[in-house]
Amino acid sequence: MFFRLLMESFRRQRRRKILAGIAILLGTTAVTAMLALATTIGDRIQDELAVYGANIVVYPAADQLEVKVGGVDVKPDSGGASLKASDLKKLRGIFWANNITGVSPELPVHILGTTGSGKPVDTTGTGLWFRHSLTNGSGTALVTGAPSLHPLWKLNGSWPEEAATTATGADVVAGSTLASAKGIHLGDTIEVQPSSGPSRTPIKLRVSGIVTAGDATDEQILLPLNAAQVLAGTPDAVRRVEVSARTKPEDAFARKDPNSLSAKQKEIWYCRPYANSIAYQIREAIPGARAEQVRRVEQSEGNVLKRISGLMWLISGAAMLAAAFAVSAAMATAVLERQGEIGLMRSLGASKGSIAMLFYTEAGLLALLAGVIGYVAGSGIAAWMGARIFGTGSSLSMTDVLNPVLLPVVVALALAVVFAGSTPAIRRALTMEPSAILRADV
Amino acid sequence: MSTRLSMTSILRRSLLHRKARSMSALIAMTISAAVATALLTLYADLDAKLHHEFRSFGANVVITPGESERSLKPGILERVQTSAGPDAVAAEFAYAVATTDRGTPVVVAGTDFAAVRRLNSWWQVDSWPTPTDATAALLGQRAADFIADEHTVQLTFAGRPLTLHGTGRLRTGGDEDSRIYMPLAAFSAWTGAQPSVIELQVPGGAAQVETTISRLRQELPGLKVEPVRQLVEGENRIVDKTHALMYGAVLLIALTVAVSVLATLSASVLERRRDFALMKALGGSQLQMMALFLLEAFLLAFAGVGIGFLVGSAASLAISQLNFHTATMPRLSVLPLVFTLNLLIAALAALLPLRVLRGLQPAALLKGE
Repeated sequence: MFFRLLMESFRRQRRRKILAGIAILLGTTAVTAMLALATTIGDRIQDELAVYGANIVVYPAADQLEVKVGGVDVKPDSGGASLKASDLKKLRGIFWANNITGVSPELPVHILGTTGSGKPVDTTGTGLWFRHSLTNGSGTALVTGAPSLHPLWKLNGSWPEEAATTATGADVVAGSTLASAKGIHLGDTIEVQPSSGPSRTPIKLRVSGIVTAGDATDEQILLPLNAAQVLAGTPDAVRRVEVSARTKPEDAFARKDPNSLSAKQKEIWYCRPYANSIAYQIREAIPGARAEQVRRVEQSEGNVLKRISGLMWLISGAAMLAAAFAVSAAMATAVLERQGEIGLMRSLGASKGSIAMLFYTEAGLLALLAGVIGYVAGSGIAAWMGARIFGTGSSLSMTDVLNPVLLPVVVALALAVVFAGSTPAIRRALTMEPSAILRADV
Repeated sequence: MSTRLSMTSILRRSLLHRKARSMSALIAMTISAAVATALLTLYADLDAKLHHEFRSFGANVVITPGESERSLKPGILERVQTSAGPDAVAAEFAYAVATTDRGTPVVVAGTDFAAVRRLNSWWQVDSWPTPTDATAALLGQRAADFIADEHTVQLTFAGRPLTLHGTGRLRTGGDEDSRIYMPLAAFSAWTGAQPSVIELQVPGGAAQVETTISRLRQELPGLKVEPVRQLVEGENRIVDKTHALMYGAVLLIALTVAVSVLATLSASVLERRRDFALMKALGGSQLQMMALFLLEAFLLAFAGVGIGFLVGSAASLAISQLNFHTATMPRLSVLPLVFTLNLLIAALAALLPLRVLRGLQPAALLKGE
């Protein structure tokens, strides 16, 4: 009997069911879409914030003091302490290795040479990775380098290939200011004498690209790290490493000195992706290194990130509240208009409990159905919006679009709201005398 | 029938007689108005709020002397400040390479601590020097490692010694870590060097920064005025994308709430098939019916907008207070849009079911479904 009532209710009152279903469907769609956007916004904005460059720098602990004004080294130091490039693969093994999105080692060298047209070149060169595959043997490799940490660098030509570096030649990229001052064009060759090292044979630098960075880099030559090491005569050496990592905005706990914490607290501190914790792990992994967060980038990014994702969460909350009210109103209407039916059932001897059960089951079925459809629709909308706005549409897989965690959350919310919304109306209808309801022309 | 029922009395009774139904319709209208108000208010204020957050990145314009000169002329800072407006923050820096007591060369910078503090909020400083203290110094955390005594810092520049007392360490993770900062007046008296860089923070987006830069170039010829490209472009990209995201969210939420409110209201109009049939049987015309339903819906919409505007403004105020720690004031300018939206919903809700109702025969309906 119960199931027949249920079936008939859905079969005969199709329009009513559809109207209530639409309200639930749209509510869950909006809520799913907002939640899906809010949960991914952090990573997306963090990717956008990559234009500000690295948020962690690593340099040798025993380093000399830099004498730099306006990005120009006033007293370029010769030698000095350095880190080992071969140690950098250890970054792939630290606790938060997967949060490290970019690694860019630097080795400054003095470049003294002549262009193809005979003009003398005396400038700073920086040895960099351009598309280096960083791996510690296990897991996937991180393909990284300076261009990925400087998305605003504009390149005319192509980045040098590390593999093209030999003992006598390498591909390089020239800064635009330097190139126009010295008349360097794509495909030109600069002949350079190594400053030291075993081989005194001149090295030919082929210009494979011209880069515009908008800062002091424009007056430099960028060359593959291995070529810079040959030029400087310091194999495996790196002066400074820029690291870009996904971090959690700093809070009071993040600023604590890990060594002053209790063992348990320290473990919690260690296992949170704060810039400070990641820097700490880098110091542990690379011997003789000092790692610092770049506060200008890290602090400000954290600030912006917190605000934008906070805004999204609050708006999601507001959307949830509004959807809940809208759905409740729809459910209340749906029950109110069936008072007559309730009165009839009561007068035919149905118990209050079984009537309530019938209405709740109907509402629950509606919420389940509309909730699932709304979940799919909302996820689709969120993915579409994310792809449109942040341009990450190319590699969208099913798992990216449908966040499995959201499904139970959204359906549970829909059920809760639907039950809460129909309860007052059901209760009201049940407390009224059946005869009174039936007499009133409802 | 001697006394004809007037439209207003039908309306009044219809609204008051079934309070529960009127209430749920009113709640629905209030929600759609409140959501629209809150989102539009937040949206209107979003760019300004976001740009404000980006101020924490510090200077977005750098002013340096032209090719031939080494330092800026005195009084330039005031002219830059006047030209850039009172909201802009400017700080000047002078640099020299001095030697510490341990014989290490170190960059010493002279500046105005109060301005730097406002400009570079990311500097982590143990304790800022008092403005009147002429021999106070901030020691970069790396520079501090090369100094014997942080309380009496002995520096030498071109044979002229100077003793400063460090008030604390400075941590930034950038070039500042290897420098020593001191008050500009004392610095100039000691080294004779004048400021060579003005760092300027112009509030607002790329357009505002560009305008300010071209104005500065015009008013201060001979100076190099350059934007910090990565800051300006990055800020613009993120603000634009957040803006687009909010736009999408506003549309999505407003639309879904509007449609689900529409569904609720239509249901409550549909429910009144019997009233409709009765009135029709008593001689009411199609037009009168329509007018009645519309009027009722508009009344509810009116009330809904009134309450919804208050609720929505309060919600947007709370959200921006919570998130940005600054208030977003209610905007009357969103009211026309909210009002139009709600009237549209009300009209649709009243008119959509009419198509269904029109096809019904009063007699059949009154007899039973």
